[in-house]
Amino acid sequence: MNETLLLLLILFPAAFGALLLVVPTKTKYLREITSLVAAGFMVYVALGLWDQQIDLTIPWAGFGIDFQLRLYAFSQFIVAAIVGFVFLIIMYSIKFMEERSRNNQFYGFLFLAEAMAIGSVLANNLAVMLFFWEGLLISLFVLITLGREQAFKTAVKTFIIIGLSDLCLMLGIAMVGFQAGTLTMSEIHLNTSGLNGVAFILMLIGAMAKGGALPFHTWIPDAAVDAPLPFMALFPGALEKLLGIYLVARIALDFFEPGLGMQLLVMSIGAITIVFAVMMALIQKDFKRLLSYHAISQVGYMILGIGTGVPAGVVGGLFHMINNAIFKSCLFLTGGAVEKQTGTTDLTRLGGLAKQMPVTFGCFLVAALSISGVPPFNGFVSKELIFEGTIEKGYLVFFIAAVIGAIFTAASFLKLGHAVFFGKPEQKGVSETHWSMLIPISALAWGCIIFGLRFDIPINFLVKPSLSTSLSEELLNHVHFKFGINELLLVTLMILIIAILNHIHGVKTSGKGVGASEHIHHAPGLKTIYHLAEERVFDPYVQGKIAGGYLTLGLYKIDRAVDWLYQKFFPSAAAFIASARLIHNGFFANYLSWSLGGMLLIILYLTWFVK
Amino acid sequence: MENMMLLAIFIPLIGAFLLPLAGVFSPKVRNALALILVTASFGASASLVSPVLSNQFATFTISIPLGFDLIFTADALGVFMALASSFVGLIIVFYSLGYIHHDQNQNEYYMMVVLFLGAMVGLVYSQNLIYIYLFWEIAAICCWRLIGFYRERDIILRADKAFLITVFGALAMLLGFVILYNNFGSFDLRALKGKMAPDLAVLLIMFGIFSKSATLPFHTWLPDAGVAPSPVTALLHAAVLVKIGVFAFARIFVGTIDFGPIWYQILPVVIAVSAIVSGGAALIENDIKRIIAYSTISQLAFIFLGLVMDNPLAIAGGMLFILMHGLGKGGLFLCAGILEHCTHTKDIRQMGGLIKTMPVTAVSFGLCSLSLMGIPPFGGFFAKYMIISGTVQGGNPWIAGAFIVGALLTILYLLRVFALVFLGDLKIEAREGTTTMLVAVGLLACLSLLGGFFVKFPSDFIQIAVRQMVGSL
Repeated sequence: MNETLLLLLILFPAAFGALLLVVPTKTKYLREITSLVAAGFMVYVALGLWDQQIDLTIPWAGFGIDFQLRLYAFSQFIVAAIVGFVFLIIMYSIKFMEERSRNNQFYGFLFLAEAMAIGSVLANNLAVMLFFWEGLLISLFVLITLGREQAFKTAVKTFIIIGLSDLCLMLGIAMVGFQAGTLTMSEIHLNTSGLNGVAFILMLIGAMAKGGALPFHTWIPDAAVDAPLPFMALFPGALEKLLGIYLVARIALDFFEPGLGMQLLVMSIGAITIVFAVMMALIQKDFKRLLSYHAISQVGYMILGIGTGVPAGVVGGLFHMINNAIFKSCLFLTGGAVEKQTGTTDLTRLGGLAKQMPVTFGCFLVAALSISGVPPFNGFVSKELIFEGTIEKGYLVFFIAAVIGAIFTAASFLKLGHAVFFGKPEQKGVSETHWSMLIPISALAWGCIIFGLRFDIPINFLVKPSLSTSLSEELLNHVHFKFGINELLLVTLMILIIAILNHIHGVKTSGKGVGASEHIHHAPGLKTIYHLAEERVFDPYVQGKIAGGYLTLGLYKIDRAVDWLYQKFFPSAAAFIASARLIHNGFFANYLSWSLGGMLLIILYLTWFVK
Repeated sequence: MENMMLLAIFIPLIGAFLLPLAGVFSPKVRNALALILVTASFGASASLVSPVLSNQFATFTISIPLGFDLIFTADALGVFMALASSFVGLIIVFYSLGYIHHDQNQNEYYMMVVLFLGAMVGLVYSQNLIYIYLFWEIAAICCWRLIGFYRERDIILRADKAFLITVFGALAMLLGFVILYNNFGSFDLRALKGKMAPDLAVLLIMFGIFSKSATLPFHTWLPDAGVAPSPVTALLHAAVLVKIGVFAFARIFVGTIDFGPIWYQILPVVIAVSAIVSGGAALIENDIKRIIAYSTISQLAFIFLGLVMDNPLAIAGGMLFILMHGLGKGGLFLCAGILEHCTHTKDIRQMGGLIKTMPVTAVSFGLCSLSLMGIPPFGGFFAKYMIISGTVQGGNPWIAGAFIVGALLTILYLLRVFALVFLGDLKIEAREGTTTMLVAVGLLACLSLLGGFFVKFPSDFIQIAVRQMVGSL
């Protein structure tokens, strides 16, 4: 019975999504309401399976590729988060996506994506996980094309970037399967020397690219502008972080025991992601694009935390994963509300919305304070834990990177909040958004508050049990967090004070909220770097496209050269041989002399050489 | 069981010659007869599935002196190939009914197509090298006539090119067979099992196999052959003809005749180069049929890789990809045919936004592409995963890495075609193709998708084939 329910978690959304794709409906709201009910049913099923451990194996393609699923603390945590977010986003989309032409595809692929995401988390066989993991790609592609007119270009970019990372994951999985002798995930424990190290890096590429870490992030800011907003809130905002970090945690803690070199590699990627992306976020002038860079930057914290391998860091990283999903999708959804009511997300054309959209503003405030790490919201707790982890690990540079990231995160949200909600109103007659959109927004904002004030509940009931297979009970019990006056709180206060001073300075020099980062944007040295970044010099996709262009041209030339041989060389050889035709002119005397000559040669050969 | 096997071979082989006769009386009768012949052959092979699943063999022998014994065996490999080719062949014949119904020389067309399928089925059941060669050349002649179907001078030259390259390859292969005969005194593959082939014989046979299966440097005839009518390109260059070489490799070298260890070093490198060069060329080309043809070259390398690796997982992957590639690539060529038919161009730069006016073709093209890219939940995913995984298990992680590049190129060029042809602004006003054609491509696309969910069924069958070939799993 429970096995059936577990399968239902995957099969139901898949079947329902496929149904939505093929069945046309003209009745208003029918599709939306059934979708909401279906998403609610998924929440119900997921919660019904809470705290059960189920292992399921169905033979599939042979050669160790069996359809193995495993529900345990970690996977139930992620699955519950996925179904919850999908439910909220669908509720939000009812009004937001209203009157768009391809809504059957929007809801259909949303459910297909839900099925794939749940499948990849529940899978207990690497090949099955890859099946679901890579299967997300199609939904991703189609959902992005549903945005603006030319959105398909971003969709193509996304498909290629994620496709490449998935292929790396495939190779990594092939290597892991070979080295470990099994594909069953719960039985794989490897070190990271030799080929294992290559496999570790390849799998990590797959996981991190899904999470959106550098250098596989560049599709996210583009998608922020092109793709429909609920997609942004759900995918780069929540779902992909959950999946990517889930896999990073499984790789770095379960499948492998990374050596110090590998740990440093993971932490460096995390640190670079934090700093680079937050610097980009700071100067953005579009609500959604700014948020998208934060979606990238925050994933750096999680990777950094997990990369430390220290209990505090790992717990902080996972806690930050769920916190980030909550406040980031909340922020995206407030952005959507602003877009819906004002018709723009351009910060220069927004302002003074605090009075016109008070509920949205309130939720934005909560989420922004959370992401900036202000106590007592949830982001504060998880960031503190990550700070603690980096200090415990003993590499100061990573701690500094985390602090710099926090300063600029706070600074950019001061700027964003100031530009959108304060100052003089740019538009008249803007009203609060529809209640069906406010429910998900405020639910997520309440999540930020609850997970902040009662951080012990998620940490003790969600995060720590998830890690019980990877870290020992004793180590986990060692991780404590308390609100109180200590060094780390002082660090946080310092971060906030610097950010506020910076903001005041910025507003003073530029005279506007939106210009609060201009002095950093145009600081000597940074200006050139920002300019290059905006010219996409640092975008591996754009650079890869240029390099790939030359490369494929070279390959094409090789191909043409081979063909040239057939077209030119062989026919000319044939023509040369054909010239022998001149000898055959039909005169009997000619043929006779040729024969006599030949016979003479044979006789000479026989008499002189063969004795 | 023997009778069914013989029926599968000789119904199309002999029936093909009745088609022009029937065409004289009535084209409708001829078309129906062609469809019936191919269906009958498919049905006869299909009836062999359940005996094979219970591990039975069927062998039919007529002794002829000098090694020319006529030997047919229905083993799992043969039945699998026969089913895969005659099923795709069946769909292509069905599609042809809508595609070439106002062209000339239709009598010859149907005769050649059915004869070709008969030769293919004969080849896959043959256990004697001489008869493999014989059917191989029948297929080559049919192919030559079919490529030159439109009878323009340029087209005939290209047909000649395809014919000459493959026939020279086949002659080299025949020499290789003769060397085997001189060494071991038999053309019978059962007698040759476990023998170590001399390097020269391997080299000569590989000439033949690579020229037929269009692998670098014998591949350039394949893109050029795109001048043929689209169902022909689908039949010859995607689904069936090019698989002959791959099949022969499986039949002769996987689990039957051994070759020296040096070939395990050389062959993977050759096919890796082939995969990457043709993938790069596909990204530069602008003619839709040439792109798909290059893609065939590139994907054939994947199949070869699986078979060369000589471990059960990789071989199974290679065989699964023979099926999935046949379905997917057949679908792509048929979609290209619809596009060519409706837009009157093959240049992808002149197309655009066609998803709005040709939704069925667009979706079918997309689904088939996804299968070839190896994206789950499509069938191609399992094949590619097994091949890559088997290559790593065969101790060649770097070759596997090179093929990951090949797989990336696959994604790039197919996505490029899809985006240029179907997305963006509408450039050409074109209507959707005829129902017959749409049913054919839709069916292939759906099967590509179902092949992923129900991969268990082909996989079970392939596991039996692999067990028969290499003796263990």
